[in-house]
Amino acid sequence: MSDVPAKLTVVTGKGSPGRSRLTSLLIHLGLLAASVVMLYPLLWLLAASFRPENEIFTSASILPSVWSIDSYIRGWNGLRTSFGVFFTNSFIISGLSVIGNVMACSMAAYAFARLDFRFKNFWFAMMLLTLMLPYQVTLIPQYVLFRQLGWVNTFLPLVVPKFLAADGFFIFLMVQFFRGLPKELDEAAQMDGCSPWRIYWKIIIPLSMPVLATAAIFTFIWTWDDFFGPLIYLSEMKSYTVMLGLRTFTDSTGESDYGGLFAMSVLSLVPIFLFFLFFQRLLIEGIATTGMKR
Amino acid sequence: MTARSLQSGAPARERAATPSTWSRIWQNDAPGYLFLLPWLIGFIGLTVGPMVTSLYLSFTDFDLLTSPDWVGADNYIRMFTNDAKFWTSMRVTMFFVIFSVPLKLAFALAVAMLLNRGIRGLPLYRALFYLPSLLGASVAIAILWRQIFAGDGLVNKLLLLVGIEGPSWISNPQYSLWTLIVLSIWQFGSPMIIFLAGLRQIPTDMYEAASLDGASKWRQFVKITLPLLTPVVFFNAIIQTIEAFKSFTPAFIISGGTGNPINSTLFYTLYLYQEAFAFFRMGYASALAWVLLAVVGVFTAFSFFTSKYWVHYDE
Repeated sequence: MSDVPAKLTVVTGKGSPGRSRLTSLLIHLGLLAASVVMLYPLLWLLAASFRPENEIFTSASILPSVWSIDSYIRGWNGLRTSFGVFFTNSFIISGLSVIGNVMACSMAAYAFARLDFRFKNFWFAMMLLTLMLPYQVTLIPQYVLFRQLGWVNTFLPLVVPKFLAADGFFIFLMVQFFRGLPKELDEAAQMDGCSPWRIYWKIIIPLSMPVLATAAIFTFIWTWDDFFGPLIYLSEMKSYTVMLGLRTFTDSTGESDYGGLFAMSVLSLVPIFLFFLFFQRLLIEGIATTGMKR
Repeated sequence: MTARSLQSGAPARERAATPSTWSRIWQNDAPGYLFLLPWLIGFIGLTVGPMVTSLYLSFTDFDLLTSPDWVGADNYIRMFTNDAKFWTSMRVTMFFVIFSVPLKLAFALAVAMLLNRGIRGLPLYRALFYLPSLLGASVAIAILWRQIFAGDGLVNKLLLLVGIEGPSWISNPQYSLWTLIVLSIWQFGSPMIIFLAGLRQIPTDMYEAASLDGASKWRQFVKITLPLLTPVVFFNAIIQTIEAFKSFTPAFIISGGTGNPINSTLFYTLYLYQEAFAFFRMGYASALAWVLLAVVGVFTAFSFFTSKYWVHYDE
């Protein structure tokens, strides 16, 4: 009985000869066509950023006739404040967010996955509920609070919540991972008199690098991309993030300098694209195992 | 040492119960709560507290500068009886949710089905299809979209090659919302990955048995794949719907923060933002937020309630 299905798998899996080869060719053609359609806008944006200004709107092709970096030079200083400042700000905010999120979320996840305490299930359920909460419901009082603390026009409203594990998604992600680690390890360590803190720091954290890296990368990308937070909390140009810089660009000079706008848009995508290039597998596994939204 | 005291702990603990209840609580519960502390502070200070405050503010007039004035249910009454923009924004958001989510999931599932057949080059395809969903939330992509669908944009250039003169999609209220729906569908990559993971859970021998019985591919899809995949469909649908309700950046960037042309892209979140941070009607905006919560809550509860009729769980 076990033999027959195995043979059948070979037949159906690798494709029965003849018709199936054609089908698989057609599928490949279809998928390739779909990829091209999907990626065309991105390639076009990339090409447009390297085109001489007068050529941007005359051509739908993705190869510029002349390569030029003029747009990058113009765009970089296209606003009163240089994009260098915006990039620095974005890196600071995203970097601090990564540190805060990984620390606070892994601590909470360790408590949920490994420690016993009263009302644990209640708190866990609360944490899951916050995942579904539209942020608008807490937005205005949070704004009032941060304003009273004098934090408007600083990075604090964007960073401090990360140190308080405000994005429950990552707690959930880590709880799933921690639960998969062999419990015997902590039990052995506990018998040797290790405190929970040492178990967390010396056993759980070192064994959890993949999930911590996934959380770090997603935190970075989401913070980097965040537009709403900076939009309401940062109003002085010297504290703008890249996303706010781009938005200002579209409002002020965007109509006249599309080249500069596109060049800065491409630059703003570079960090995310690098993560994609080097950590794709982590990202895809992160999504597959927990159902990340993006 | 600790192990022995754990094993013989029960009687000893009982004896010492009354005098050292607090120290026992300290020993048993303190580590957990200490690790949970950052989250707890955030939960109370940034979620529960603000929620209560926001509920209170929704019954007030509040402009941020003077203290809130209690107005009873006025905000809610005005919203439902005397605010055309509220209804417009609700309609726009509903339209967006109702069209973008099913279409996005349909694309995600269709492509996942194609990729699931042990196809060569799977990692490459998966990565290519995933890239837009990773980049898509960025302001840069919204800017790109605004350009692509402009009157002299890329789409019309390509259409012109086949002799069609396209309209200005962005500034035509008939199409403007559709450009945002297309942008959302374009990002079908992450639900696709979740579908792929779900498809992999379905045992292949079910298909083998079915094809031995002469079931067509379509029949196998309807009778095996779809029922077994319903938990994943359900999960994706919930996540994507909540995301769609919260969508803000693309509409803001593409319409320059206005929701125009003639409010055709005035997402609910955009309207709420305008009320709160352009007109400083913080009380009214809080009421809008609570209505949003109610809508999302009713939708989610409804989904969970109906799920037992169509979501198939093992055992």
